[in-house]
Amino acid sequence: MDIWHFTVRRLIQIIIIFFVIFTVLFLLFRLAPGDPISRIIDPDMTPEDATRLMAQMGLDKPLWMQYLYYLKNVLSGNFGHSFYYGKPVIEIISDRLPNTVLLFTTSVILSAIVGVFLGKIASWNKGKRTDTFMTMGALVTHTLFLPWMALILIWIFSYKFSWFPINGMISEDVWLDPSSGVVRKGLDVLHHMILPLSTLFLIYFGSYLLLMRSSMLETLKEDYILTARAKGLKEKTIRNHHAAPNAALPVVTSVGLSLAFSINGGALTETVFTWPGIGRELVFSVSNNDYPLAQASFLLIAAVVLFSNLLVDILYAYLDPRIRY
Amino acid sequence: MKARTIKRFLIQAALTVFLLYPGIGFCGSHFLKIGLSDEPKTLNIWLASDRWSLRVLSQIYQPLFTRDPESMEMIPWLAAQDPVYDEASISYTVTLRESKWSDGSEITAEDVAFTGNIIRDLKIPRHFSKWDFIKKIEVVDKKTVRFYLEEPMAIFADRTLTTPIVCKKEWEKIYQEIKKTDKPLVALLNYNIEKPVGNGPFTVREWKKGAYLFLEKNKHFFGLGQTIEGRVLGPFIDGVIYKFFGTSDTAILSLKKGDIDMFWWAIQAGYLDDLKTDKNIQLHFNDRSAMYYMGFNLRKPPFNDVNFRRAVAILIDKGFIISRILQDQGVKMDSVVPPGNKFWYSKQAPDYGEGLTQDERIKRAFQVLKDSGYSWEVPPVDGSGKVVKGKGVRLPNGQPMGSFSILTPPSDYDPQRAMTGLIIQEWLRAMGIPASGKPMAFDALVDQVKVNRDFDAFILAYGQLSIDPDWIRNFFHSKNDKVRGENQAGYRNPDFDRISDQSARMIDKNARRKLICDMQAIIKKDLPYIPLYLPKMIEAVRTDRFAGWVDALEGIGSIWSFCMLKPIGK
Amino acid sequence: MDAQEKIIKKKRLKKPGRERRWKKNWAIYKKNILGRVGLALLSFFVLMALCSYIPPWIDPMYQPMSGVDPEISKSTGPSLRHWLGTDFMGRDLFSQLLAGARVAFMVGISSAFMSILLGTLVGMISGYMGKWVDTILMRLADIIMVMPTLLVVLILAALFGQLNIWSIVLIIALFRWPGVSRVIRAQTLSLRHRPFIESAKVSGASHMRIIFRHIMPNVLPLSFLYMTFRVTAAINIEAALAFLGFGDPGTVSWGMMLQWVWKTGHMFKAPYWLLPPGICISLITLSFYMLGRAMDEVLDPRLRKEGERY
Repeated sequence: MDIWHFTVRRLIQIIIIFFVIFTVLFLLFRLAPGDPISRIIDPDMTPEDATRLMAQMGLDKPLWMQYLYYLKNVLSGNFGHSFYYGKPVIEIISDRLPNTVLLFTTSVILSAIVGVFLGKIASWNKGKRTDTFMTMGALVTHTLFLPWMALILIWIFSYKFSWFPINGMISEDVWLDPSSGVVRKGLDVLHHMILPLSTLFLIYFGSYLLLMRSSMLETLKEDYILTARAKGLKEKTIRNHHAAPNAALPVVTSVGLSLAFSINGGALTETVFTWPGIGRELVFSVSNNDYPLAQASFLLIAAVVLFSNLLVDILYAYLDPRIRY
Repeated sequence: MKARTIKRFLIQAALTVFLLYPGIGFCGSHFLKIGLSDEPKTLNIWLASDRWSLRVLSQIYQPLFTRDPESMEMIPWLAAQDPVYDEASISYTVTLRESKWSDGSEITAEDVAFTGNIIRDLKIPRHFSKWDFIKKIEVVDKKTVRFYLEEPMAIFADRTLTTPIVCKKEWEKIYQEIKKTDKPLVALLNYNIEKPVGNGPFTVREWKKGAYLFLEKNKHFFGLGQTIEGRVLGPFIDGVIYKFFGTSDTAILSLKKGDIDMFWWAIQAGYLDDLKTDKNIQLHFNDRSAMYYMGFNLRKPPFNDVNFRRAVAILIDKGFIISRILQDQGVKMDSVVPPGNKFWYSKQAPDYGEGLTQDERIKRAFQVLKDSGYSWEVPPVDGSGKVVKGKGVRLPNGQPMGSFSILTPPSDYDPQRAMTGLIIQEWLRAMGIPASGKPMAFDALVDQVKVNRDFDAFILAYGQLSIDPDWIRNFFHSKNDKVRGENQAGYRNPDFDRISDQSARMIDKNARRKLICDMQAIIKKDLPYIPLYLPKMIEAVRTDRFAGWVDALEGIGSIWSFCMLKPIGK
Repeated sequence: MDAQEKIIKKKRLKKPGRERRWKKNWAIYKKNILGRVGLALLSFFVLMALCSYIPPWIDPMYQPMSGVDPEISKSTGPSLRHWLGTDFMGRDLFSQLLAGARVAFMVGISSAFMSILLGTLVGMISGYMGKWVDTILMRLADIIMVMPTLLVVLILAALFGQLNIWSIVLIIALFRWPGVSRVIRAQTLSLRHRPFIESAKVSGASHMRIIFRHIMPNVLPLSFLYMTFRVTAAINIEAALAFLGFGDPGTVSWGMMLQWVWKTGHMFKAPYWLLPPGICISLITLSFYMLGRAMDEVLDPRLRKEGERY
């Protein structure tokens, strides 16, 4: 089976999986107690008002009709209107998505690069003090409780030292000032991003470090490294040019596989720092019974996760011809 | 080599950030910065139901009449004078003052009629109940509008005339457009309004989603430079910038650091000591128009027995709740109308168990229950009159009382109500009544109480109740004992229904007051709800940039504050 | 997988030497500094959990959830009477912290145990039965594996309102089995055509019997290796859930304590309240993590030969 066939087969599987998630999600939201109207407790909202609103939102229809209707809409790219914002879901998501992508990809890339780099050093100094220090450090930061650490960072760097803003993504002083250009605005975002970024970075670089370290130790036992040594190449050359690129491979693929895990952390970080991203929006829409928005956000996350797993699989299959599922 | 590049990059990044920090300065002049605990959801006034949107919109759209912050009397706002009532035709005539929309066009009677008609035609939720009884709206001339009512309605002046007025020019187009769709109401609610044409002191300049909402001074605002009820109006500030915080903590931190001038949210007692020591921060303590209460499901035993409810009321030590759980930032409620609402509040008899110690409460409750046929395996008061732990309470029919739960919001939503539930549980258990406080996610709780109506007892609250207590009728009228109705207790009393219907049609204020007092007395006697407490509204502002906040019921965030606030040194 | 096979072979060959093998493993374990630190930390938390029964027994005001100090009605710093101070309504923080340890163990271990059980079962059935059973189960595992567990639990918690602590434990378990089941499936696949399985088949043993009598004993040690990591995940998810306000409102967990300090506005002025729960969550995670890595080394002879030291 060639790689093309393999990709197509995985793609079909992913579509089926996606459909299953779609259906389960729909049922979950509809079967749960509470509807978007019941949470408006306002003496002015009469039962008649509520019934009328339910009917106009199509919530009084039988479940299967709602499902088919929703399916039809989603297939044509229409995720409906958010009950809460009264705006098309797509619009809200496209508002929030760039912010999440910015924070998320920066943190993943940064922690992977630093993790790989430090992991390499640790493996090279195996058993020495540097190694012990790094491994222990990685273990400790990796197991810190994320929201708590975020609070501590805010406490120290925003409250005690006032170095960074407490939360948010931009400061209105800069953005409302007509004289500030792109550079100043960009730096302002960066200034706001440092703390959430550090939170995610501290939690995640440890796992890359540990992974890189053990992968490197494995690689160093391979034949071609021994050959390189026998050829009398410098240790540094062997380390950087022969061992490291090969050892980094599993780390790169693990970025894709651990995506689901990182998304959890991303949502928590966004919530604590009020970062206007998709994870925070999901948490809010869920607690507001805003089905269209919550469903679409979750489907988006699921799609991203599934797709990146597909990429990892293809990458693996391409790089390692032994693997064919 | 690669390492060096990364290192260099990191150092550079760090340096820029630190160099950048002191470089940020504020360019504008007198912008008031307000922290909101969450972002407004929409600027479409018909959709807005969350507090944050309503707060922002209250500065953009104005009603015909508003309340004086001190006397709480209705005073003309967009209107020129008090409405003129004509008894023969059951009509009110309102004349408008000279005023303009934020786009410079004139506000006319057409706008008022349009607002009423769109609400009535589309039956817009949350507004329709206030316009339902209006037969016809007539535009007499450019500045005069007449409302014909189906029957006399007491709430007309207080509730209908406080509806914000929208601009016909802007909404007429939208109205025609949505009328063509098959679901016009939802189409209206989903209509995207970015910069509404308003008539308030401020208008929307820019909304940066997820970051801030910037309102600038409306130079066409009718109040500008005017004196209304002896108050000189502005606005004297150039604009308002709203910033959004996810939690109170970060918002209060920003307040202390001077990033915002006001945090528009009730402050938890935990912050008080800290804020009091800050020289630049001033705290405002105001009464609320709200009701925190314990409700029962009168559709099932033992809650359908008024004596049982009275015994529970006797056992609840409201003083303890206030001093312990509210940390003295609140007052007891002994009627469903808040005591601060002086005109309508009626204190008729001492509250249940007022002034008793815990043991005396148990003895009295025991007496009440024993007299109405309840029995115990171990009575809470033994033969010698000593209070012991009661056990195994039985209903008058001999059945043991089943254990029941008191639903409360969870402690993150409202720690005070959650703790109150737990404390009441302890008090009831001392009598052998098998109650347990059960914190429950807020949505699920409301759903359980309003929609499923499957519950025993609960602790909930109504906030921002209107001054005119017409809502008592909504809460306890038997016609509202239905799914999603406000009569969650399932209270049915023909006498009450009759008096409350009468009160709704009573135009004479003093006669109406008498009826409302009677209604309060009935509720106090029958106790479908036990009113518990009323927390204070505590708000914090900075004093270094602006002054002139106006204290009023429900806090300082009224339209008056925003019209009268002045920058310091101007 | 040949490493595991070696263990299994060894095990089958010298059954009577089990005790000796344990001793040997323990000796190796003892040398491992990670393992020692992890175990020490863990015993500390076990002690905490056990001690949690003491304060309420001394005085009812030390009840972690409902007991309040009759003389204190706001948050106060550490004192002789309240070693870590009190929370916003006069409840003792120290007894809450102790009770939190109990909850953490309960959540962590029971959830991990359930997910391991489920994962092992699915893995064995999938590997043994093969064909369409295998395909369906493994695709299911794929779906669940890629879902961000915290967000899924969050959705469920928000939708169904009040999840009690046991439902949370169960849901976490339901979403954490696929990792285990994949490993167990691979292990089962390698066992399926071994002579002792074949001979059992020939002698007419039922599928059930083969799975439970013959395969299970061989894969269980591997399952339990995975358990430690599942414990950390479960504790973390429960804490995060409680922190976001979707936890069981009737349970005093560390996440709940953090939520209280956060939501009642004591975060920046009550370090005595903010620090302990966070430190505890982080440390208990760390201790299980260390334990897991150390056990990994003990049970995986390949790593052992390498003489990895920390």
